[in-house]
Amino acid sequence: MKDVGVIFRREMGAYFHSPIAYIFIVVFLFLTSGFYTNGFFLAGVADMRDFFGTLPLYLLFFIPALTMRLWAEDQRLGTFELLMTLPMKPWHIVLGKYLAGLAFYAIALACTFTIPISLMWIGHPDLGAIACGYFGSLLLGALFLAIGIFVSGLFRDQIAAFILTLLACAFFVLAGTQFFVAILDGWVDGLGSFLSSAFAVNLRFEGIERGVIGLDDVLFFLSFSIVFLVLNTLSLEGRKY
Amino acid sequence: MPPCNNFSTLPPVSPRRRELRLARAGSLRYHFRPLVAPPARSPVFVVSGTQDRFGEFRLDVCPPEFLEGVGMIEVQGVSKSYGITKALDQVSFSVDRNRVLGFLGPNGAGKSTAMKIITTYLSPDEGTVKIEGQDVTADPLAARRRIGYLPEAAPLYDDMRVRDYLEFVAQARGLTGDDLSRRLDWVHDRTHVRSVLYKKVNELSKGYRQRVGLAQALVHNPDVLILDEPTSGLDPRQIIGIRNLIRELAETKTVIFSSHILAEISAVTDRIVIINGGKIVADGHAEDLRGSAMRENRYRVQFSQDGAAAADALRAIAGVSSVVADPEIANTWLVRSPLATDLRRPVNELARSHGWDLLELAPQRPTLEEAFIELTAGRAH
Repeated sequence: MKDVGVIFRREMGAYFHSPIAYIFIVVFLFLTSGFYTNGFFLAGVADMRDFFGTLPLYLLFFIPALTMRLWAEDQRLGTFELLMTLPMKPWHIVLGKYLAGLAFYAIALACTFTIPISLMWIGHPDLGAIACGYFGSLLLGALFLAIGIFVSGLFRDQIAAFILTLLACAFFVLAGTQFFVAILDGWVDGLGSFLSSAFAVNLRFEGIERGVIGLDDVLFFLSFSIVFLVLNTLSLEGRKY
Repeated sequence: MPPCNNFSTLPPVSPRRRELRLARAGSLRYHFRPLVAPPARSPVFVVSGTQDRFGEFRLDVCPPEFLEGVGMIEVQGVSKSYGITKALDQVSFSVDRNRVLGFLGPNGAGKSTAMKIITTYLSPDEGTVKIEGQDVTADPLAARRRIGYLPEAAPLYDDMRVRDYLEFVAQARGLTGDDLSRRLDWVHDRTHVRSVLYKKVNELSKGYRQRVGLAQALVHNPDVLILDEPTSGLDPRQIIGIRNLIRELAETKTVIFSSHILAEISAVTDRIVIINGGKIVADGHAEDLRGSAMRENRYRVQFSQDGAAAADALRAIAGVSSVVADPEIANTWLVRSPLATDLRRPVNELARSHGWDLLELAPQRPTLEEAFIELTAGRAH
């Protein structure tokens, strides 16, 4: 795991040595907290349901922005060849990069702790539900990051990686919407329902953020994340041939 | 006698203890083979050496024959295709320990592909690459520990400071603690990057970028150095610096370096492999290559006799295929004949029979450039 640590530190450094980290965190906080407080003062209820309800939509854009450089930049700079000739197993490198992305996302998410702290100051929020919401957000982000790192590994161009990650993540979100299910069921009977039950992240995320942490939901996020990380490793190994 | 190997991995031990450890080299990581297999179960080597301030151990006594025939890198029948394009076709060559091999070929000849396969970045479709007898595809991580690789474009992170970048590579290659500091000191000095350690990589000139690229390839003190066009894009002063460094490194390392410029290769080594269209078209020393590129005999002839009479007399010799006057030196001609026809005796007789003084009669061999063009002619993509 020492190798994972070396890659992790390098990637974390890459986030914070450039303006990307700071721009990302500021914009992320501005949009998520800004829109939340707007609705919060209208409703006058001390909870974070609106915050977690809209978070998947924000993550559709923020996570691809975070992951698009993870491999694409290495390919642009030529450091991909360096990484692939280091005495490290490819999955160690993948894990190091992934955990760095996850840690950075967790830091951005932790910056929104000002919201529950404010809620505790002005009211009596359900802290259990909020904690579950953050846990679910971390799982959702973990899945989107795994999709993003896999897609980034397929492209040299960061814009292409961004757009395809966005589309792939959007599929996981849309799969749980009635609109999407109805259209696909109209095309092929049962297809929309099948995709919804197999891939819909927002239904599972909603369950967790309401305070119901089901083992199947956690396993869903974890197993899909692992699948994409394995696919990323295999795609890197496959480039040798 | 030049030092013939290094032992950076050897911990500081007393001379007596060091000798004992070397005596059990069969079970250690020392890459020696006995000159003659001793009757004892374990090979025994009695050597002496010194450790420099970086902890690098150099042998002071090393019989030259000790290294004879010790193949460090062996490439056997390697082929590689990208789709329908065959990048390498049954490529075979070997390099002995602590030797420099120049890999020469036009752009797109397959040099980089061969290097990527040796470094395990790519897998061959067929064939094997062995480093000291160990197949690199069987244990790529072990091979990578022994290889330092500088790709064609120096693999640098623009957002990092030079010092941080080299530290990252050293850590990624498993160096820690004192070893890490010692090796970093060593590469900072040897590659002359100390003055830019605190600059960001994206602020460096092309020459410094290449030096930092070389530093990352050397940081773990590899046995084998693979350098893909290391002098590409550098100015003449920088090129000479890199050449000198490669020559120094070759005292303790096996080096393969590529270029599409013949002068680059011949300035550093006389062992040249020429690759073209994915195939090895020549493998040998510079002189051998010049010889193998000879398709006809060429002689430079100078008589005291003036004018066309001498030229006509030369043309009249049986077997002469052409006579061309040297535009720069009077009474001098370049005379060609088929390989099987030796013109030295007939030209001598011609001079004697006409009573001319033969001022020069020199067989001409192709220059390296001519040899390269001859060997790669008609096979280019």
